[in-house]
Amino acid sequence: MSELSWEKPKHPEKPKRGPSLKFAGAGLVIALALFALIAAGTLRGARYFISVDELLNDPSYQGRTLRIAGAVDGESIEYDSERAIIRFEIVHIPAAYDDLAQALREALLDPLASRLQVIAEDAALPDLLRHEAQAIVTGALSGDRVFHASELLLKCPSRFEESVAPEGLSQIPEHE
Amino acid sequence: MLAEIGLASLALALALALYAVAACLIGARGTGPGWLPSGRNAALLTFPALLLSAGALTLALLSEQYQLAYVYSVTDPQTPALYRFTALWGSQRGSLLFWSLLMSGFACAAIALNWRPQSRLMPYAIPAMMATLAFFLGLSLFVENPFERWWVLPDLPADRQVASTALIPPGAIAPSEANLRAGAEGLNPLLRHFGMVIHPPMLYLGFVGFTIPFAFAVAALAAGDLSSHWLQATRRWSLIAWIFLSLGLLLGGRWAYDVLGWGGYWGWDPVENAAFLPWLVGTAFIHSAMIQEKRGMLKLWNMALVIATFSAVMFGTFATRSGVIESVHSFARSQVGFPMLGFWALMTLVALALLSWRWRRGELRDERPFLNILSRESLFVLNNVIFIALFCAIFWGSFGLPITSELLLGKEVTIGPETFEFYVAPLFAAMYLLMGVAPLSAWGASSLRSLGRSILAPLAVTGLCVLLIMLSGAGLAVALLGYGTALFAGTVALFEIGRGARARNRSLGESMPRALLSLFRRNQRRYGGYIVHLGVTLIGIGVVGSTVFQTERQHSLARGESVQVREYRLRYDDFILARASDGRRLHIAAVTVLRHGGEVARLRPRIDEYPQMPMTIAGAHSTLENDFYVLLISGDSERATFRIYINPLVNLVWWGGVVLALGTAIAVYPKVTPEPRERKREAKPA
Repeated sequence: MSELSWEKPKHPEKPKRGPSLKFAGAGLVIALALFALIAAGTLRGARYFISVDELLNDPSYQGRTLRIAGAVDGESIEYDSERAIIRFEIVHIPAAYDDLAQALREALLDPLASRLQVIAEDAALPDLLRHEAQAIVTGALSGDRVFHASELLLKCPSRFEESVAPEGLSQIPEHE
Repeated sequence: MLAEIGLASLALALALALYAVAACLIGARGTGPGWLPSGRNAALLTFPALLLSAGALTLALLSEQYQLAYVYSVTDPQTPALYRFTALWGSQRGSLLFWSLLMSGFACAAIALNWRPQSRLMPYAIPAMMATLAFFLGLSLFVENPFERWWVLPDLPADRQVASTALIPPGAIAPSEANLRAGAEGLNPLLRHFGMVIHPPMLYLGFVGFTIPFAFAVAALAAGDLSSHWLQATRRWSLIAWIFLSLGLLLGGRWAYDVLGWGGYWGWDPVENAAFLPWLVGTAFIHSAMIQEKRGMLKLWNMALVIATFSAVMFGTFATRSGVIESVHSFARSQVGFPMLGFWALMTLVALALLSWRWRRGELRDERPFLNILSRESLFVLNNVIFIALFCAIFWGSFGLPITSELLLGKEVTIGPETFEFYVAPLFAAMYLLMGVAPLSAWGASSLRSLGRSILAPLAVTGLCVLLIMLSGAGLAVALLGYGTALFAGTVALFEIGRGARARNRSLGESMPRALLSLFRRNQRRYGGYIVHLGVTLIGIGVVGSTVFQTERQHSLARGESVQVREYRLRYDDFILARASDGRRLHIAAVTVLRHGGEVARLRPRIDEYPQMPMTIAGAHSTLENDFYVLLISGDSERATFRIYINPLVNLVWWGGVVLALGTAIAVYPKVTPEPRERKREAKPA
């Protein structure tokens, strides 16, 4: 009768993960974490950037956090410095324009353009809040059709403004 | 006459740049020995030509030649001499010329310094640099010409009688000098600030500086020299570009803090972010380049990063100057947008095509594999991943989401500063942690145990600091986490400097001050890098303190009345009306700041009334602990309203910038070779 023998292997071979697999795994985890972070932030903080017309013509926007751009009507600006409340009106400007300054001017001259009352509370009066500035406000439209802004940004006059033909330059030409 | 000189030299510079591209590419094909030196000489001559052109425009600004439309739009007779000079980059046209001048200066220096050592790369590096320069010169000459002059054309209808052109139209007459002087617009009041005087040149230097590593990378791909030569040739250029870009960003923040009157320095606006994106990729590149130099790894990654940095620079320039991105910075919708987009796409595609070609030929394989996930090179890669993640998150929020939503939904979707903060806070925390851990790990392989041992002491010191901060009352978890991660990175940098000095002290018997000096002299790059880390630590602590613990109040006070805001008391003393020499009216409030009953400062917040707009100038009492920052909202001799901000630790942001610049200067400074006697002494066994 033959003798049965059983020998335990000296070094049991464990399936070993190579470094490249570890790196790939780490890369995948990081990519997924980044995706989750960006997705969570976007879902939490995304808001439509719409015009005054779109806001006023679509009741579904009421109460939602939105970003609106419009031309500031300088005559409507009121500031309650005791309570730090700014009130002003913005006027609808079209989405497409070639020259922003001209678009703002034309919007304010249009008697039929939609207007939106904006209130910003606990806000310092910005230097740039003036007639024909472009205001970009973030906030929500309340039931009384007043836009309560939590953030107020104004387009600053640029270093890169184009030179426009100056008025009056041709009045007294110098004949040489 | 100045307009003609400027225009002719600008056209000459364009011709020279185009000739340099053609001559060098012909020379690269081995057609004749004279082509390459001829191309180099043409490239070198672009600088004097542009110096003449920019000099002519500067002289026109200083000598008030308002017939030049550019001079007319950025200065007026009241503009002080300093702002006349800096108006060279005060608007699109001048700044494009200034950009070209800087680009040419950088390119000429890179060509002169690398002509012999990098002779194999020069036939392709020069065309890459000159093609970029030629593009900007073309824009300057044909699209945004700074030498256009106002002309009156009496024969045309009234609405077209005044026009600005570079060449004199037939029948044109010059407008009256008196009318020109009366109508000149002057520099935007918001730009009359020291930060804005030097912020654009710094940013431009950073932007154009990154063209040099890109040009050498493209040259290496084209020439097939894929060793680390191109990295060695461009290491200093990358660091110089990086520090200028860093300082440009910080100065932009300082300008916003001083001038815009909202108590902050970073608003996550797309134009701000467009300048921050190249910084993120450039920082990743500076770190990963070290791995290729030391270990021969990440060849493909480094090439991709340097291309991405240049691409981000071009995209940032496009976003800033085209006006197509909706931003609070109102940049005019200029004609440069689409040519710039085309050039950006062309250069990126050419570089990527070359990269892909070399990769497919197997010429960008690493010399050794990554073996250990805790090795220094692996942690550097992880640090790169964090930078790229920051890049992706900020790019998505600033450009990706608005553009994608506009395309898919027909409506633009944006995110606000709070969402950007949500994105970047965990990523910056990870970056600071890695800044601490990576320098402690070893090249090649590092075990968890050895890494843990090295981390223990800095971690204990960091923990102690955090405990002290907590006991001082700043117990908010998010702030403690922010302070903790930033402090950890700084503590490790200090430990590493101390460890190196102690080793020299023990082995060579040097005194500690001498050991420190030798340490920095012998390994400037490494220890300069630690100083940079200390600067970044200070910035991080400043950002956390000023963001999380900012106090903002508004109070209306009668004269003589005072108000308590945290540990400070503000008293309204007086109201002064005055007129400055340039004609603006000044509304000045005199206030006294008291702390624990004692007077600490007398401030003069004011409102300057310029013809174009009012401008609020803050009064600030600055210490390392905090800024007491007060704005005059409105007032008269009886009563005034003030907005008061207390910004804890905000000055660490600016001082961190100084430390950052110092560290980079140490890293960039030409290496000091030790004296032979000293070298012999160091070679002795300890």
